[in-house]
Amino acid sequence: MFSKALFKQSMKANWVKWTCVTVATCVMLAIVIIALGSLAIDNIRDSLKGVFQQADQESVLKSNSVDSYELYLTTAQFENGVEMINDSGFTELMWSIVIQPNYNDALNEYQTTNPGAELTEKALEEIKNNAVNSAYDTIISILPSVMPDADFTESELKQLLYIMMCAHEDNNSLSSAADIITAIENSYLQYVQDSAYEMYLQQEDATEETATASSLAARALASYAMESYKTQSAQEGFVYTEDTFKEEANSYVNQMIYDQVLATFNLGDDATDEEKTEAEYYAVASKVISNTAINTYELWLDEYDDTEKYPDMTEEQAKISAKEQASASLMDQIDEEVAAALKELGDMDMYGLIIGNLFYRVAGILLPMVYVIMVANGLLAGQVDSGSMAYVLSTPTKRRTVTVTQMTYLMLSLLAMFLLVTVTSVVSIWIVGGNEFTINFVEILLLNLGAFLTMFAFAGFCFMCSSIFNRSKYSMSIGGGISILMLVCTILGLFGSDVVPAAMRIGQMNFFNYLSIISLFDATSILSGGMDFLWKFGILALIGIVTFIVGVFWFEKKDLPL
Amino acid sequence: MEEKEEVIKVTNLTKDYGNGRGIFDLNFTIYKGETFGFVGTNGSGKTTTIRNIMGFIKPQQGTVQVLGMDAWKDSCEIKKYVAYIPGEIAFPDLTTGISFFKAQAELLKLKNMDYANSLIKRLQLDPSANLKRMSKGMKQKTAIVAALMADKDILILDEPTTGLDPLMRETFLELIKEEKEKGKTILMSSQMFDELEATCDRVALIFDGKIIDIADINALKNSDIRAYKIEFLDKEEYKKFKRLKFKIIRDQEKYSQVTIQIEDNKINHLFKVLKNYHLKFISEVKFNLEKHFKEILAERLKGGENV
Repeated sequence: MFSKALFKQSMKANWVKWTCVTVATCVMLAIVIIALGSLAIDNIRDSLKGVFQQADQESVLKSNSVDSYELYLTTAQFENGVEMINDSGFTELMWSIVIQPNYNDALNEYQTTNPGAELTEKALEEIKNNAVNSAYDTIISILPSVMPDADFTESELKQLLYIMMCAHEDNNSLSSAADIITAIENSYLQYVQDSAYEMYLQQEDATEETATASSLAARALASYAMESYKTQSAQEGFVYTEDTFKEEANSYVNQMIYDQVLATFNLGDDATDEEKTEAEYYAVASKVISNTAINTYELWLDEYDDTEKYPDMTEEQAKISAKEQASASLMDQIDEEVAAALKELGDMDMYGLIIGNLFYRVAGILLPMVYVIMVANGLLAGQVDSGSMAYVLSTPTKRRTVTVTQMTYLMLSLLAMFLLVTVTSVVSIWIVGGNEFTINFVEILLLNLGAFLTMFAFAGFCFMCSSIFNRSKYSMSIGGGISILMLVCTILGLFGSDVVPAAMRIGQMNFFNYLSIISLFDATSILSGGMDFLWKFGILALIGIVTFIVGVFWFEKKDLPL
Repeated sequence: MEEKEEVIKVTNLTKDYGNGRGIFDLNFTIYKGETFGFVGTNGSGKTTTIRNIMGFIKPQQGTVQVLGMDAWKDSCEIKKYVAYIPGEIAFPDLTTGISFFKAQAELLKLKNMDYANSLIKRLQLDPSANLKRMSKGMKQKTAIVAALMADKDILILDEPTTGLDPLMRETFLELIKEEKEKGKTILMSSQMFDELEATCDRVALIFDGKIIDIADINALKNSDIRAYKIEFLDKEEYKKFKRLKFKIIRDQEKYSQVTIQIEDNKINHLFKVLKNYHLKFISEVKFNLEKHFKEILAERLKGGENV
């Protein structure tokens, strides 16, 4: 079944080709790996990734700025109301004739309709709301006579009354005007905190911790606004206007952002100048971004004020929309598809693409394929065509011995070739250093195995053609032609496959992948840790084995023109 | 007649390649120690027959037996006894003649190269020459050495003398005669009648895939029937001679020439008759295989026209 003499003869006839192809492939692979490793192609990817992270951070920063700004303004508006209650006489009057009686009435009414019921949170809420409604009716009838220049909307007034009810609920035995004012302020701060908590909890990805932290921040902000208002209003000639407060709110939020960013750098006493400059740079940049966001927000609010242009827009909707516009990042400004493509480019595995898909599936198997086409043809068809097979078959050598020996030579020479390629790849990766490289040793071994199995399948196919045809030209054009065609299809198919970034991908070209058995070498599955490649490897091996067997039997049955 | 051992027996062998090409219903037997020749034009089926005997192609009908074994099924076993020179000379992809001989010896499991070396000397071959740069004659010599070196009992030679210069051809034919004397059975095809005539015991003429005739050279050579060519000086005498009852095999009126066939014991009668004629010359026409086959072919073609 095996002839040592014939094996030696095949080795002598083909060793030059084998050496050339092996050396060329190994050198090519070493250059690719070392070049990729030292040029650090991942830098590009990392910087792209950085851009996207920065864009996300920018968006968050802008949105936070707008939120803080809104909170600050709300507080200021409340303070406008507090001016009214700062008048001690009026406050006392309000407290005794509006808040206290209405709250008590509502409480009594609730207790008579629900006798013996426990005062739950929900019950208290109902009581307060009822009290606010009746108090509102009272106050609206007396307000023009007591405070002719008061300027409140219904919701503003009701909000104020609600807060006063809360204050009363907590401290119903207050009598001095100063105590009442303090209690109202405390209730207000609590109210800001609660509504901020509710608001943040509704945001995406929010946890209770982040919502709590944000609501505490809101309370601090409101408290600051209150102090600031009091200080300013104590000054002579102070007039509350919306614009002054907007300016105040903007600069306050900017400063807050600046302080926060600076704090994240955690600069100790031993910080170098360079570190300080860097922290300062980021803090100032953040401050500018915050300012931009708030100004944009205001501009959009003005825009939405135009009732002719936006007839159906409520104030709430306008605020949400303006905030969205203001917090848009770089990513939101460019086209969605382009953004997706860029993001994919940032996430792409360049080593996997170039080594896994480009080298092992195309460039690296091109020369071995040429070797297989030439040698497989030369082992049978070439010798039958020239007639030199007659010298072998006129000795007591069975045809099966000839085919099995030649097949063994072809397989072993391929195996030896890929063993050297494997060694080259492992050594090259070792030289480059495993850490930088995203392909690990197991993966590179699997890639080599895949390339070998692919070539094994082609070798079987070319060997079968070499066995079937008596003429080199037919064996070459069918065996070699189809093999090269498949390689070309794989190159074309690459542009339609997922490994190529969407920006360069042409979906229809994926069709070519179905025409090539190289698609059964699933480098993507190997590199992404999947298991799909295993059964595909099995099919490749099967193709090789079956075609080899067909080749062996065909050669035994056919007529030889020798 | 003594019982002769059959070495190659071809029975009803047919291999039809279409368009009248191929071989059709061949029957012949080659006996031990016999040298058998194949002659025929290009494409007449000589090589196809030899390929069948070598087991390279499978007969469509009929069988080929070598030493009692089927040439197709027992192809490998038969090769232990058979040496072959292919019609087309193409060597394996090796560098020199020496490496080729070594590779062949390994395939033949041949250890002793003495005979090979003596053959190389006889044929004045330089075995260290590069196989690819060899002249046609050199290649042919190399092929001869490769075939003969294992000293097998049966030699199958497909046009072995093509490319050899006349001197080398003589050497080769001598070599064949020596092999024959050693008792080997030889099947040799050629397009040259003279070399087959010189070496073969029997020669088969193949034409259009059919064996037209198998000539027994020895019988023909040693036959007591001879042919004489006679030219007369006088046309009248020539016509008169023709009326006599001699067997005329060729008649050339233009030159007043006749060729007659006559048994040895009637030669005196012929000379008595010829005493009264004025001759330009008389010569014995030597037996010639080529002429022999041409006559047969001509008859065949004539017969074909009549039917």
